[in-house]
Amino acid sequence: MSKVKISFNLNYEDIVVEVESNKRLLDMLREDLNMKSVKEGCGEGECGACTVIVDGITVTSCTVLAPQVDGCSVITLEGLSKDGELDKLQESFMEAGAVQCGFCTPGMILSAKALFMKNPKPSKDEIKRAMSGNLCRCTGYKKIVEAVEIARDK
Amino acid sequence: MGNFNIIGKSVEKKDSLSKVLGTAQFAADIEFENMLYGAVKRSEVPSAILKNVDVSKAKALPGVVSVLTYKDITGGNRIGIIIKDEPVLVDDNIRRIGDALAIVAAETKEIAEEALKLIEVEYEELEPILSIEDALKEESRKVHGKTNVLQEKHLIKGDVDEAFKECDIIVENTYKTNYVAHMFIEPEAGVAKYENGIMSVWCSTQNPHFDRGEVARTLNMPQNKVRVIQAVTGGGFGGKLDISVQCHIALLSYYTGRPVKIVTNREDSMKVSSKRHPIEMKVKTGAKKDGTILAYEAKLTSDTGAYASYGPAVVARAMTHISGPYRIPNVRIDATFVYTNNPMAGAYRGFGVPQAAIAHEGQMDALAEKIGMSPIEIRLKNALRVGDCTPTNQKLNDSIGIVETIEKAVEKSKEVIFNEGEVK
Repeated sequence: MSKVKISFNLNYEDIVVEVESNKRLLDMLREDLNMKSVKEGCGEGECGACTVIVDGITVTSCTVLAPQVDGCSVITLEGLSKDGELDKLQESFMEAGAVQCGFCTPGMILSAKALFMKNPKPSKDEIKRAMSGNLCRCTGYKKIVEAVEIARDK
Repeated sequence: MGNFNIIGKSVEKKDSLSKVLGTAQFAADIEFENMLYGAVKRSEVPSAILKNVDVSKAKALPGVVSVLTYKDITGGNRIGIIIKDEPVLVDDNIRRIGDALAIVAAETKEIAEEALKLIEVEYEELEPILSIEDALKEESRKVHGKTNVLQEKHLIKGDVDEAFKECDIIVENTYKTNYVAHMFIEPEAGVAKYENGIMSVWCSTQNPHFDRGEVARTLNMPQNKVRVIQAVTGGGFGGKLDISVQCHIALLSYYTGRPVKIVTNREDSMKVSSKRHPIEMKVKTGAKKDGTILAYEAKLTSDTGAYASYGPAVVARAMTHISGPYRIPNVRIDATFVYTNNPMAGAYRGFGVPQAAIAHEGQMDALAEKIGMSPIEIRLKNALRVGDCTPTNQKLNDSIGIVETIEKAVEKSKEVIFNEGEVK
């Protein structure tokens, strides 16, 4: 498969990579760039485990081709904490006990992060709507919503 | 309460930091130098005689390092937690859609997937057995051995036939539940590494000690040369108690001498992982006019699919729970679980108990309606209390929470469903 050169901003750093033109964004992030927080649950955009933020909008990275992020800014969970300092969402997920098996957690936190980028004071309904593309099979939804509310109020 | 360090305190979940940072290592996240990627060739038909598996074209594909079939298994080729009836790689008959026929290790996962298409499987299709009824016909082909009955069990307490004669009210109903998939959000995955005579397996599992035994037997290695390390596991709910990738990655690593990773895709996970047993429950309950239950009879039949998995444990649990948390002096439970060519059913949150609850609670409501009693009152009247015995004659000496639970539920229902005084 032919490779294409793309440049984009990953977690606040400009990078240039050569990537197979048919590679999924999910695979480029996990395999080529070692962003292992991006999880594959279903491979068809249903579960939200592979959610990342592209230009401020959440996307399921399993349904996006890598070259599509050329010129974009991409945020993964790795980009949220700086120098060991946690994002308030990371803190609130721990505080509320919103983490069980942890496989949906990266996508959940990023969906909440994208919501805050647009709307720093969302209502509970707005939070639920923003998180509706992320499945938690351990059924910890109540605490997940609580965690986002705690972060909102911080 | 004394001043304890932990008890009564809210403690932080030990692994929550690594999980909110995204650094927790799930099996698919584990990487080794020189690692190969594995893939599994699976059957597309539910029932067939396997004639031949030709792997020559797959082996010739550049980038393919190893292709294995049952002939390459150095140890035992039957696995299973209770009954060893599932092949690591099919050697005689295909018994379900998704049975593993061959495994590949290649330099990239794309090459491994490509190689699967080059494996030529020759088989003679058989009429599949897809219902309990068909499985139990005398002339039916047997999925395993000489009978399609996995287990037939009976639980008898008192004399139900005599007790039914004394009953004023009898209700009889049939309840059927369906398959349920666990749908753990992380598909099964693992990495095996064979080094200095030691086989190490990192995998998404609920059952590392069982996995170690099965890997050891498959490879004909002593257990002290096999290490199974549970990776951070993305949900299981019973569905990761069975073997998934463990034996396949171990075989491939053993033959190639290189680390091998398999990450199952959602489609294969859905096909192959165990399911909740569908159970048909024919239930008859008899009571006096005042609501006192005297007799309870249930006939359970269930489809355990192609392999036993935890089926025998589910039989026992469904039987011992199907009369519910109620004091019933006369009980007769008959259960038959059968093999078919359907998906394998196994452990699933409650081992048959949730299915049984649908039947025993349905019966309580039906009985209450027929007698004209409140569904709450009839439950409280018959609820087990300290000192009572279960159908298996276990005396409940210390505590049983059902009365308290019902009372709390009534209290709560007043808040959320009914207005005060409207509970009927």
